[in-house]
Amino acid sequence: MKSGHSKKAMLAVSSALSLASLTVAGLGGAPAAFAQSSAHARASAVRHTSGPAVRLQETGSTLLFPLFQLWVPAYKKVASNVFITPNGTGSGTGIQQAEDGVVQIGASDAYMSTGLLSQHPSMLNIPLAISAQQIMYNLPGLKASTHLHLTGSVIAQMFMGKIRYWNAPQIQNLNRGIKLPHAVIVPVHRTDSSGDTFLFSQFMTDTNAQWAQSVAYGTSVPWPAVAGAQGGNGNQGVVQTAQRTPYSIAYVGISWLDKALSHGLGEAALANRTGRFLLPTVATISAAAGQMIAKTPRDERISLIYAPGANSYPIINYEYAIVNENQSSAVVAQAIKNLLLWAINSKGGNSASFMTKVHFLPLPTSIAPLSRAQIERIHG
Amino acid sequence: MTRRRFGSKLFAVTTGIAAGGPLVVMLVLMGVLVRDAWPAWRFQGLSFFSGTVWNMGNMYANTPIVRAGVQGAPGASFGILPLVVGTLYSSLIALAVGVPIALLTAAALVYLAPKRVSMWLSPVIDLLAGIPSVVYGLWGVEVLAPFVQSRLGPWLSHVLRIAPFFHGPVGTGMGLLTSGLVLAVMIIPIVTATTRELLAQVPRLPYEGAQALGLTSYESVRYVAFPWVSSGVIGAVILGWGRALGETMAVLMVSGNAANYLPTNIYSPISTMASTVAALLDSALTDFTGLAVHALALIAVTLLAITMATNLLARSLVALGRRGLEAEGERR
Repeated sequence: MKSGHSKKAMLAVSSALSLASLTVAGLGGAPAAFAQSSAHARASAVRHTSGPAVRLQETGSTLLFPLFQLWVPAYKKVASNVFITPNGTGSGTGIQQAEDGVVQIGASDAYMSTGLLSQHPSMLNIPLAISAQQIMYNLPGLKASTHLHLTGSVIAQMFMGKIRYWNAPQIQNLNRGIKLPHAVIVPVHRTDSSGDTFLFSQFMTDTNAQWAQSVAYGTSVPWPAVAGAQGGNGNQGVVQTAQRTPYSIAYVGISWLDKALSHGLGEAALANRTGRFLLPTVATISAAAGQMIAKTPRDERISLIYAPGANSYPIINYEYAIVNENQSSAVVAQAIKNLLLWAINSKGGNSASFMTKVHFLPLPTSIAPLSRAQIERIHG
Repeated sequence: MTRRRFGSKLFAVTTGIAAGGPLVVMLVLMGVLVRDAWPAWRFQGLSFFSGTVWNMGNMYANTPIVRAGVQGAPGASFGILPLVVGTLYSSLIALAVGVPIALLTAAALVYLAPKRVSMWLSPVIDLLAGIPSVVYGLWGVEVLAPFVQSRLGPWLSHVLRIAPFFHGPVGTGMGLLTSGLVLAVMIIPIVTATTRELLAQVPRLPYEGAQALGLTSYESVRYVAFPWVSSGVIGAVILGWGRALGETMAVLMVSGNAANYLPTNIYSPISTMASTVAALLDSALTDFTGLAVHALALIAVTLLAITMATNLLARSLVALGRRGLEAEGERR
């Protein structure tokens, strides 16, 4: 009798506590001590040449994550004393944890907002490469070689529930000759805070006035109520959800393109400003980049979405490393600098052997000096 | 003598502190949460509970808006009705499915199963209660959701086609029904273990008397054993309910994460309060006005209030049941 009672009391308390730890840990932010310990540099545990062992944590963008997974083992050969732990958790997490000092490098497809930056003036937004996003759909029976033609405005209406069926005239008119099914469209969005959501919602904002008014853009947006619409966690979650949901439509970061195609999803050709329908290729991404990069400011925070030009693919972006210029020690600061300088080097992390695997483009030669100048500001 | 007195005083103080700890933690927690949630309450008011749209506002705007003296990102507006509905519906499905199974299991363990079997089964059920929820979530994604999508959903939709909430497109298996079923599996061990303890305390005599009078074992359990501990069993059920209300990870994985709309049928994607707090926290922390975090804290306060209410209810009912039992014992 006693044991039953105390067990219940414990259950009650522990359920309250688990809830408590959930909220308090999040609300209070991470303690500074944790950041210290994860960044601490150990002396004399060196294998070859390059100084004391340093542990670096990277977290954030699931779009950038596949590239980091390729970089980490390669960088081991460059600096065997640097131990990097990458993690794909969503761009919002990357920004937030870099700010808090939980991680040294936050990865993000979205740059920090001006408001946020004014609160955290020591944060740097450093582009590492150029990426893109494609719109994908699950239309059973449609051949993979067929690419639906879609405009930003039509996609916005699909995600707002204004266009409910795949064979709606607005879609059919863009795709004459393709037999579209009378099936309900299932929009799939990101549940976590996501740079992909940022890019997608910026494209929607640029192409559909009603979206701009009601939804706008950000790493999380107020998704319009569409019955049946679903959310997925990370790019992997979106691809998985779209794959198992016939007649769904989703936005997916380009580093997940191969995986999504192999899972049977189709890839849309998107209308650019001149009305041409294009797929994201090296040619169309670099054409769009060529139109936009000259406007890059010194802090490198700029949207590259919906570039002008006949050959420009509409959804491209800089992939950012979000880094605090004040690091815990000179050793850690130097390790981060070396890593990032290697990452944007065309013979290092920006070489074709890495870029082509994730369909990224290397940082343009005119932009690399801007990134280098920002990297140089990191200090201990 | 004085040393002994000092020792017992020390003992009293230390145990007193230890015993008071949970209460202090609880109060501090509540205080911190309420303080954190307060700006969101001022900003949004009662429409927090009736609104259907969760909008953290345009965090990339340069100037915040001000309402009731509280800054927010332009467009910010917080309504959690879909989350409340998702939380309540999924937990009620969990109860509807899980409780009968748990009660039958408990009865079987106490009255029907051979001693050797129940000796082995009881610890196994206790173990089930300790499995991390992410494991249940994974099982939900990999096994249960496809099953609901391809088998259970279509079958239910066909069999119950006149019942409005059961008929309709089955969707992908990620949604209300799957969430409810995963939660059911998660609460069965808790409800079973608690009920088993209660049933084990039912005096043997009335039960045997019932059997001697010719009642079947079902009738003896149904009309003698369970009434004996009925309020305690209700307490056990509400304890399971509390678990289902607060479950985060497993639901996040199988709910379909519906945004800003109410479920139209039992297969609809949903979101719950707990899973939303977990999913949106990182975005909220990038809100330069800080209001989005306050709004999440207000969800947490709401959930904590609901969980505490169910827990208190459960414990008072269990206590009531026990008092009844003791009175019964004294009479004999």
